[in-house]
Amino acid sequence: MTTVTMTVNGKSVTANVDPRTLLAQFVRENLRLTGTHVGCDTSQCGACVVHVDGRAVKSCTVLAVSCDGASVTTIEGLANGAELHPMQAAFREHHGLQCGFCTPGMIMSAVDIVNRKGHDLDEHTIREELEGNICRCTGYHNIVKAVEAGAKAMGGTVAAGIAAE
Amino acid sequence: MYLRPRTIDAAVAALVETKGRIVAGGTDVMPALVDQVRRTPFIDISAVDDLRGITISGGKVRMGARTTWTDIASADLPPALHGLQAAAREVGSRQIQNVGTIAGNLCNASPAADGVPPLLALDAEVELTSAAGRRSMPLASFILGNRKTELRAGEMMTAVTVSALGPAARSAFLKLGARRYLVISIAMAAAVVERGKDGTIADARIAVGACSAVARRLSALEKDLVGKPFSPAAAEFVTAAHVAGLTPIDDVRATATYRTDAAETVVRRVLAACLSETAHA
Ligand SMILES: Cc1cc2nc3c(=O)[nH]c(=O)nc-3n(C[C@H](O)[C@H](O)[C@H](O)COP(=O)(O)OP(=O)(O)OC[C@H]3O[C@@H](n4cnc5c(N)ncnc54)[C@H](O)[C@@H]3O)c2cc1C
Ligand code: FES
Ligand code: FES
Repeated sequence: MTTVTMTVNGKSVTANVDPRTLLAQFVRENLRLTGTHVGCDTSQCGACVVHVDGRAVKSCTVLAVSCDGASVTTIEGLANGAELHPMQAAFREHHGLQCGFCTPGMIMSAVDIVNRKGHDLDEHTIREELEGNICRCTGYHNIVKAVEAGAKAMGGTVAAGIAAE
Repeated sequence: MYLRPRTIDAAVAALVETKGRIVAGGTDVMPALVDQVRRTPFIDISAVDDLRGITISGGKVRMGARTTWTDIASADLPPALHGLQAAAREVGSRQIQNVGTIAGNLCNASPAADGVPPLLALDAEVELTSAAGRRSMPLASFILGNRKTELRAGEMMTAVTVSALGPAARSAFLKLGARRYLVISIAMAAAVVERGKDGTIADARIAVGACSAVARRLSALEKDLVGKPFSPAAAEFVTAAHVAGLTPIDDVRATATYRTDAAETVVRRVLAACLSETAHA
């Protein structure tokens, strides 16, 4: 067993884990943060995307112990109490989900795109940047609309409309 | 067993002691292990700071082994490396590029590794370090076959070095997959071409991947291109004979016949793209 300490959604956590534990397993099983989904276990689908030190990664590729000292944000870390994060609100508003399995990863990737590319995203950029996230339900159309709106809302442009939902 | 060394010396010592497996970004290692018990000791090099980063000096570009594809794609590099940067943006998706490393790609030695053709076209050298010291060799001699390399027990890759070439060099990379995104290459090609003072091609280096066990340079084509006009039209000199030496296989992604045909087209297109890269110096 190896001791690992990291900050998850702003809180410091220390645990003794089997060093083979993947970050996805760690947040789901040790921390009971089951919003992070595991769809493929082979780093393809993107359901498990979290942020490690501000960068989007597939948590099924990364060992929990290699995140020692890192700051991790999962889907549970986005909302402000009962108030949804603007990107979450946009997915609800624009029906960016059906079964919801891919949604946590989609939203974590979407927030990462906004952090890197700003609030004014065109459809082409969004589709290209979402290449690492697979959805088997929606056909992506509404996801793209949701990301576009969520990006604007994160910039505050239409924040009032969505946040007041 | 899990070790997370902080220095190259400690990593090399751990290799000798545990005979463990190096894990850098884990993007090749982890997906391959899904259903297996992870028994081999892991030597996680993600905390070895000396292995990360790009430095340019004396006309050489040195990339630490642990430099990620995102690092490469976002660095300010000379035009000879633009093809490598284009390849970096094609490795999986952003989340993979954020953790996947250049040395991981080379040491994994997949015939479809996107990093290999651009680095072959740049005559890259790899630096290998063990407790006994350092040695360097051309990438072309390092990769021996499908998943086979020159890496000895107790040895790790510490850097990849290429020549920055002059401002008159151009480069490009092109990948063909079953779809546009998140895809393993059916065929890919990289070109590095230098323009002579008289406006003709002074030197050309073309490599093709996923069409043989190890990506290959097309030396006959390289020779034929020298002296041809440095313009996209030179792509028309590419013939079926130039790719005839490739030995593609039939697999789930494509048949050998398709790959040979596609390789010719991909080479022609990558050359045209490379030779039209004249605007920015
Ligand atoms: C969804 C997905 C999509 C992908 N798409 C592509 C793609 O489009 N193109 C492509 O080329 N690849 C692709 N890959 C493969 C992989 O991401 C790349 O090959 C990546 O560069 C590997 O780097 P890594 O640091 O993650 O390697 P790891 O998985 O950490 O290591 C790979 C191998 O190299 C060894 N190794 C790593 N570093 C060293 C070192 N310094 N010295 C000695 N040995 C070392 C390891 O022991 C292991 O055997 C994809 C992977 C996934 C999961
Ligand atoms: S579970 Fe991690 S990418 Fe699918
Ligand atoms: S909503 Fe079902 S997989 Fe995307």
